[in-house]
Amino acid sequence: MTTRRHPDRALPVLAEGVGKRYRRGWALEETSLVIPENRVVALVGPNGAGKSTLMGLVTGMLRPSAGSIAVFGDEPSGKGLHPAVSYLAQQKPLYRQLTVAETLTFGARTNPTWDQGYASHLVEQAGVPMNAKVGTLSGGQRTRVALALALGKRPRLLLLDEPLADLDPLAREAVLRVLMSEARMQGMTVVLSSHVLAELEGVCDHLVLLHRGRVLLAGDVNRLSGDGTPLGELVLRHMRAAAAQEVAA
Amino acid sequence: MIWAAFRLQRLQLLTLLGLLVAGSVTVVLLRSTMVDFFTSTRLIECVAPNAGPCPASPEDLDAFAANWGDLFLVGRVVIVLLPALVGVFIGAPLFAQELEQGTHVLAFTQSVSRTRWMLSKLVVALVPALVVLVVLQYLVWWWLDAAGVLGPHANGSFHVLNFGVEHVSPVGYALFAFALGTFAGAVSRRTLVAMTAGLGVFVAARFALFGLANRWVPRERRDAPVGADADLSQGGGLWVGSGWLDTAGQQVSPDRAAALTRTCKGGTETQEAYTACLQQSGVARRYVITIPESSAWLAHVYDFAVFGGLAVLLLAGTAWALRRQS
Repeated sequence: MTTRRHPDRALPVLAEGVGKRYRRGWALEETSLVIPENRVVALVGPNGAGKSTLMGLVTGMLRPSAGSIAVFGDEPSGKGLHPAVSYLAQQKPLYRQLTVAETLTFGARTNPTWDQGYASHLVEQAGVPMNAKVGTLSGGQRTRVALALALGKRPRLLLLDEPLADLDPLAREAVLRVLMSEARMQGMTVVLSSHVLAELEGVCDHLVLLHRGRVLLAGDVNRLSGDGTPLGELVLRHMRAAAAQEVAA
Repeated sequence: MIWAAFRLQRLQLLTLLGLLVAGSVTVVLLRSTMVDFFTSTRLIECVAPNAGPCPASPEDLDAFAANWGDLFLVGRVVIVLLPALVGVFIGAPLFAQELEQGTHVLAFTQSVSRTRWMLSKLVVALVPALVVLVVLQYLVWWWLDAAGVLGPHANGSFHVLNFGVEHVSPVGYALFAFALGTFAGAVSRRTLVAMTAGLGVFVAARFALFGLANRWVPRERRDAPVGADADLSQGGGLWVGSGWLDTAGQQVSPDRAAALTRTCKGGTETQEAYTACLQQSGVARRYVITIPESSAWLAHVYDFAVFGGLAVLLLAGTAWALRRQS
């Protein structure tokens, strides 16, 4: 697999006309998109809008059917994730038979840029016992361990697929708090996907709205809602317009 | 990645270690008990091939056959079953479990390539299993060999129950079973499906391919004049066919041979008259075709090549299935 170099290596994500087709049709179509540095990005859209597909393309888990995508200037390949990128899948997969400490060792052995002190600190901060088996942890604790695993490699781009979906409100708030403070302190770009915009409002400073495999709206929040329109209303307005267009067509 | 592969295989590795220790101790004890019995009953003087008259009592010989026959069978059956167990409990869950629980996504999104992840897992799972198999196979062979001509080795390498537990054949079967399990797991993404489908195909393939390797091993023809008191089966090996030669040294066709047998058997009562009838009808010699015992190693090598080749194909299929996995 060749890795094409893009001149702009500073951009976390640069997609040019990228598309992904499955047997049932296009999941993502002609998507051109820039995700700038040091942003907290809300990737929103209804179920099936193409959020997970876009994340799959950025991680290299999926290969684009059309167009090109560059992550820090490199084309994602199947040769493992870009060293500067971390990804937390929706199911937050962890080896259930490992202890928390062993899970961190797994991170250390599979990532050259691993920061053991930082990862342990995140686990301790969450109050998760190091010698507990992952299989015995609560949903919230598991998310915190998965987050420590993702952050432990010191990424410059952190992708989180529906990270809050199966958490109770308390755990949700705790996870968001950790994310925000780490994003600010480490200077990284965080992309959170969700089908519920409300839970990301007030957290994100950049928005990407997907609808039926296309980008409906993208940009910095303060520019998009320059006239003071709440983000939720902005999104709804664009979704209604898109729906009306479909009906007309 | 190697550390992770070892840690994730810990249960299987500990089980293998337990199997190795328990199996080795059992076989060593069995052998020493058997040798003690041989020494105390003077059977020890009867185990070497072509030894003189056996000084042991017939009762001791009977007791030996009654007590040890089943154990010899069990020892060989264990070696026959081990490759299947390797496929079911080590090969099948290796990737199926990760795909089932979604942890392959975790592995694929670290800074390690899929190829390295796959190779580490394969090597860490397969090599210890093969080591345990080879050690136990050798120990069982060593035990059976101590029984000499009183044990199963008297039947030769080509015997149905001996061939699959000797030389490189068991390793070939284990490679095949393991690769079959991993392939079924990578394709089906279900541990239980991979275990059962892998086992089913393995058993079917073992039956279907049994004896295939013998086809490529050079045969040997031995002949003797009709009626001569020569034992053509002497020297062992695998008996492949037999027939008659005419005075010109040409093979008598099976149809004609059957007709001659009928004619000559019909009118005669003694072996001499039967032989004379055959000679008058133009039959000069009797021959047998065998694969000699000394070529057994070649049959094992071909057997290994067949199953090892299938294993390589299946592992390539596993790699293909995992590469397109998202």
